[in-house]
Amino acid sequence: MTEIVLDNLGKSFGDFTALKDMNLTIAQGEFVALLGPSGCGKSTTMNMIAGMLEPSEGQIRFDGKPMNGMPMARRGVGFVFQNYAIFTHMTVRENLAYGLKAQGVSRAETQRRVGEIAQLLQLTDLLDRRAAGLSVNILQRLAIGRSAVVEPSIFLLDEPLSNVDAAFRAVMRQELKSLQRQFKQTMVYVTHDQLEAMTMADRIAVMDHGKLLQVGTPIEVYNHPADTFVARFIGAPGMNLLDGRITGGDSGPVVDLGAAGHSGPVTAPGTGPVIFGFRPEEVHPDPNGPIQMAITMVERIGARIILHLAEGPHVAKAVLDAETQVPDQGGMIRFSVPAASVRLFDAQTERAL
Amino acid sequence: MTDLTSSLPTETAPEDQGKSESARLGFWLTLPTQLLVLFIALFPILMQLYISLTDWSPLDGIPWYRAYELWIGLLNYIDLWNDPRFWGAMWRTCIVMAICVPAQFLLGLGLAILFVDEFPGKRVLYSTALLPMMVVPAVAGYMFFMLFQSGGPVNNILSFFAGSPVTIAWLSDPNLALFAVILSDIWQWTPLMFLILLAGMVSVPQDQQMAAVLLGASWWRRFRTIVLPRMKTIIIIAIAIRVIENFKVFDNFYIMTGGGPGVATETISIHIYKVTQQDLIWGYVAAMALAILIVLSVVSGLAISRMRKAS
Amino acid sequence: MQRSLSFEIFRYTAIALFLALSLIPTLWMVSMAFKPIAEWQASGADLTWWPENPTLDNFRFIFGQSASELIVALERTAGRPILASLLSATFGTLIAMFAGTSAAYGLSRFGAGGNLPLALVQLRLFPPMAVMIPVMIMWAFLGMIDSWWGLALIYGIVTLPFAFWLMKTFFDDMPREIEDAALVEGCSRWRVFLRITLPMMRPALASSALFIFILNWSDYLIALLLTTRDWVTIPVYMASLSSSMTGQLYGAKAALGLIAAVPPVIMGIAIQKQLVRGLTFGALKE
Repeated sequence: MTEIVLDNLGKSFGDFTALKDMNLTIAQGEFVALLGPSGCGKSTTMNMIAGMLEPSEGQIRFDGKPMNGMPMARRGVGFVFQNYAIFTHMTVRENLAYGLKAQGVSRAETQRRVGEIAQLLQLTDLLDRRAAGLSVNILQRLAIGRSAVVEPSIFLLDEPLSNVDAAFRAVMRQELKSLQRQFKQTMVYVTHDQLEAMTMADRIAVMDHGKLLQVGTPIEVYNHPADTFVARFIGAPGMNLLDGRITGGDSGPVVDLGAAGHSGPVTAPGTGPVIFGFRPEEVHPDPNGPIQMAITMVERIGARIILHLAEGPHVAKAVLDAETQVPDQGGMIRFSVPAASVRLFDAQTERAL
Repeated sequence: MTDLTSSLPTETAPEDQGKSESARLGFWLTLPTQLLVLFIALFPILMQLYISLTDWSPLDGIPWYRAYELWIGLLNYIDLWNDPRFWGAMWRTCIVMAICVPAQFLLGLGLAILFVDEFPGKRVLYSTALLPMMVVPAVAGYMFFMLFQSGGPVNNILSFFAGSPVTIAWLSDPNLALFAVILSDIWQWTPLMFLILLAGMVSVPQDQQMAAVLLGASWWRRFRTIVLPRMKTIIIIAIAIRVIENFKVFDNFYIMTGGGPGVATETISIHIYKVTQQDLIWGYVAAMALAILIVLSVVSGLAISRMRKAS
Repeated sequence: MQRSLSFEIFRYTAIALFLALSLIPTLWMVSMAFKPIAEWQASGADLTWWPENPTLDNFRFIFGQSASELIVALERTAGRPILASLLSATFGTLIAMFAGTSAAYGLSRFGAGGNLPLALVQLRLFPPMAVMIPVMIMWAFLGMIDSWWGLALIYGIVTLPFAFWLMKTFFDDMPREIEDAALVEGCSRWRVFLRITLPMMRPALASSALFIFILNWSDYLIALLLTTRDWVTIPVYMASLSSSMTGQLYGAKAALGLIAAVPPVIMGIAIQKQLVRGLTFGALKE
């Protein structure tokens, strides 16, 4: 278990800046997900922690010890690759024993520890099978076991679920989470899938364009996105963001949404342009609601209905229970958003107000 | 075969039509090659078998189809079995192979290790390294012929290091001549080993190598346990290609030494050539050629069937 | 992967050393080709690494202009052998490509050909020397000894395995959906092959043809056996370039060797990406 500190970390390749001013402290035993679209710098960060890349700026510290220039073999980092990088020309046993042999652990000790880890990961029956042709969840366990057996203090996982078909992902997520609880290692998990991050991580670090935008627990990030990017990226569908103006109303300031009406009373620092945000789940159909929008599409997916809404320059989505009575496509809907669920963002900087 | 009509639920007639159309097309498309293979394999081998049972020579003045007049049965084959010059040429070919192939393999592997990752200037250096294998082998033979003249540049360089004039007659000394021709073969074909081995080495998955390093493996352990095992098939292919080509070696050897001095550099191809062109005992040559063909067929047939089983 | 500075130094030193040694033979031939007679006849201590007075005399000489210092005039000039090499290698390539491409297509799409692939591998395995007696007899019977077309035919057969295997791997790589779409449109299979497949295969055809041309152009043994005078190819002609009066005509041979070496080197660099595929019979694609 190790505490990882990323201190002003930056990486550029020639003119291209892949990562800039990254500051993040990952506590001992914590499971942190680096989340963002491709090209956001999450893999660059991960590769620098592992030592595959040298930082252009800043420092990485493990338990206070600077890691810059430290060869990757001596960092005590376990790495699970996107496609697991299993040595398919070897047996499961040989895969598990690889790290121990490489580090000169005695034969008896190797055998004992391989036996232990195999037991833990339910690989005992497969020990003498060739790794080629094993199913993907076994490969995942094997990849984790192969790294875990040398007892690394940090585990890095590079999108391990991206090659798994959707139906299987839930099973794999569960398995991964329970493994992390067993090993108790510090884990850094790179993904572009917000659902993976939300369901597994203790904290999420959302990144875009080489910048760290927000760090927080899944609930924090979901409920209080630091800016419009995080708001849109987290949640499926993401947060609705409508351009509006804050104006004085009868009972305090409201957000004027033009043709779509206006919001309920909000607490706002001043007047002027603002971005009005609310979760699709927070749409409450209400014949007297202050907001009205046209329904452009109705998607019924089992327990829920997703409405696609539009009015003037605005587009939004609403997620409702299946029983809710809604007008057909082409109709209008009036709704309200509870004041507590409204999130306002600065129109210029797009940061949360 | 993707046959679109067969997947449609129509009556059987168009299906049959589609199948017979592709069968007909397949027949016509492969016909030229089939004919050429028959032309170069079947007829010549039968002719060779026939001539090998006679004492026929083009100097006898009778056409080859009347060679039965000189019927001697299996005598050519018995002579071949007892021919020290034939076995000498075979032995020499094996020695050449036993030196050239490992040398080319090790040099090629070493170069591939140096070239496997990116570095400035790689493209140019790579193309330059491949140059020798693109030189016409006969011309390569001539290059080495010039280099190894007793007043030539090799001795010139040696003189420089020795401090006194060196005049070694490379190509007239039996041992040195063999050394010189072997060197020309290594020079020309190391790039081929390099090219193939590098392609194989590059295709070893990067993340597996990275995984090995992260698990604490040294360079040598990674190379021995990940890179080499993953290159196995490619190594076998590369070595097989060179063994086959080395067995046939003729051009550069013949131009450098003509198989001489004496028979010091006479490989099997040079031997057959000499018996064909100088001794003109074609019945005997036919027996020799056929014997080699049979041995090669058996060996290659075994090798191919073993490789099929393995894969 | 990170590499230390000392490794980089080692890398460049080792490569430089290897390349220096491997370039000496070629550079020596280039140097000889441009040396005047006095310089290429020099030996031992008088040897110079570079031509002191570079000249094109050697090239002029092999094309028939008598060089002032060489008393001998050539009985035959290099023009005809170069033509012989060009014609036989080109038409040999055409034969191999025509037969090989269509057979490869037949096998790749229709599974035709039976054990043809194996037969072609075996054809490649055998030393040409081992079938030369019957070939010489057959060629004599067909009146093809000492003719460029006779050489072209045997070249076409010898390199056919390469053409077949190379094109087979290219056809196997090509997605069939395009052909299938055209078939649904109602094109006949012939039309699809000629109008759709072949044009799409143009780069593959070009690199295979160049590869096979290099192989044909490089031959020495077959031409040595099947040509005698009128249509000898460059390597055969080169060996005859010496006379009892002058001994070895080093300069002239080097000049001719240079001419022979240039086309394959240029073509080889042009198809560098496909070389591995060609040399390994398509087993390895880069």
